[in-house]
Amino acid sequence: MLVRTANPDHSPLGGAVAVLLPGRRSRPFRPGQAMATVEEAAGSVRDYDRLIEAIAARQDREAFAALFGHYAPRVKAFLMRSGTPADLAEELAQETMVTVWRKAALFDAARAGASAWIFAISRNLRIDAARRQRREALHALAEEPEAELAAAPDHDMVAAERQQRVRAALDHLPGEQRRIVELSFFEGRAHGDIAGLLDIPLGTVKSRLRLAMNRMRALLGDLI
Amino acid sequence: MTVAHHPTEATLAAFAAGTLDEGRMLVVAAHLAACPDCRRSVRMLEATGGVMLDDLAPADFAADGLVRAMAQLDAPPAAPVAARRAETIPGLMPAHARLLAPYDLGPWRWVGPGVSWRMVDAPTLPGGRVFLLKATGGTALPDHTHTGTELTCVLTGAFRHEHGRYGPGDIDEADDEVDHTPVVEAGSDCICLVAMQGRLKLNGLLGRVLQPFVRL
Repeated sequence: MLVRTANPDHSPLGGAVAVLLPGRRSRPFRPGQAMATVEEAAGSVRDYDRLIEAIAARQDREAFAALFGHYAPRVKAFLMRSGTPADLAEELAQETMVTVWRKAALFDAARAGASAWIFAISRNLRIDAARRQRREALHALAEEPEAELAAAPDHDMVAAERQQRVRAALDHLPGEQRRIVELSFFEGRAHGDIAGLLDIPLGTVKSRLRLAMNRMRALLGDLI
Repeated sequence: MTVAHHPTEATLAAFAAGTLDEGRMLVVAAHLAACPDCRRSVRMLEATGGVMLDDLAPADFAADGLVRAMAQLDAPPAAPVAARRAETIPGLMPAHARLLAPYDLGPWRWVGPGVSWRMVDAPTLPGGRVFLLKATGGTALPDHTHTGTELTCVLTGAFRHEHGRYGPGDIDEADDEVDHTPVVEAGSDCICLVAMQGRLKLNGLLGRVLQPFVRL
């Protein structure tokens, strides 16, 4: 299940980074919370895109620290949900963030938001190192420039809007379809395993996934 | 080039989620190279993964995590994997040639009249294999069924069977319920990239005669 986090980050950075972030929004004061967290300070997904761009433009270590504070614990959580032991998940989360630093120049906010891009990096790192580069090359195809994206609209708007629209599209799925999407991604389960887990035929898993993707394509077709 | 046959949503989702084995990833990637629509679907799925990542409650993280990551930022990145072979297979799209370049290929081996295959060393499911299958134009492959699943992407030429025409970039996803008799279009060799689990079962007299010789 998806859990919307209500907790502040467990970031070792605390509020120190918050002041460095652009686009800070004021939020109502919550009792028991002395300092603004990175998550709150970031305010919107657009700012995570900006942080990656800052790393690309000027190797900005403060931007890296802010990204790390938000994403490293989430990448770890994501990997643990797909069965990776905590120690390894933490190592891979570290490695994901170092890879974000190294590949920042390849990030293109007009194509994918920060979270999608970092998701893809952590996915590729799940594979053992020997196979990793070859698999990355296979995924890179989907990342090659598309002619039709060359004239991207104002990407400030696009990055924030895309994230909201994808979330809204997910929220719009019937529960049984959403469950399949979540199990596919979240827990990294093969579709045969999902069928066993939910005690439904494999054909039903596949047809729910097809319906979910058709609905999401219809809702997001102009955006992705 | 118009691609007519696509992977199932389940296969695309497994590709995007990272749960597909490398052999089947390779076949899907060969399709993506020719199919902008499926590339968009993969991007949509990755955006979905990103939203799920963002919405997760953060895990407890070591206090020195950031410091350790920072210490690695200036280390040189690993050298890229060199292509294994200088050999090129005639007629491949450049993107397909690049996809195959990191993999060792076995020699072409005879399967039957007009048909040969060569192993691709991509790891795949237990009991599975990845290979290139080449048939000369006009060849009718023996009527066959599968004991497992088969994921095929056409690289050059074209074949037809009961479900239509399959040209470069088209995906044919078959399971053990599919019984088909592909015929290769005249004019050029048809080379397919195949990730197969289980074995082919050849039907009919020709099939029964060939079966002992065919190790597919």
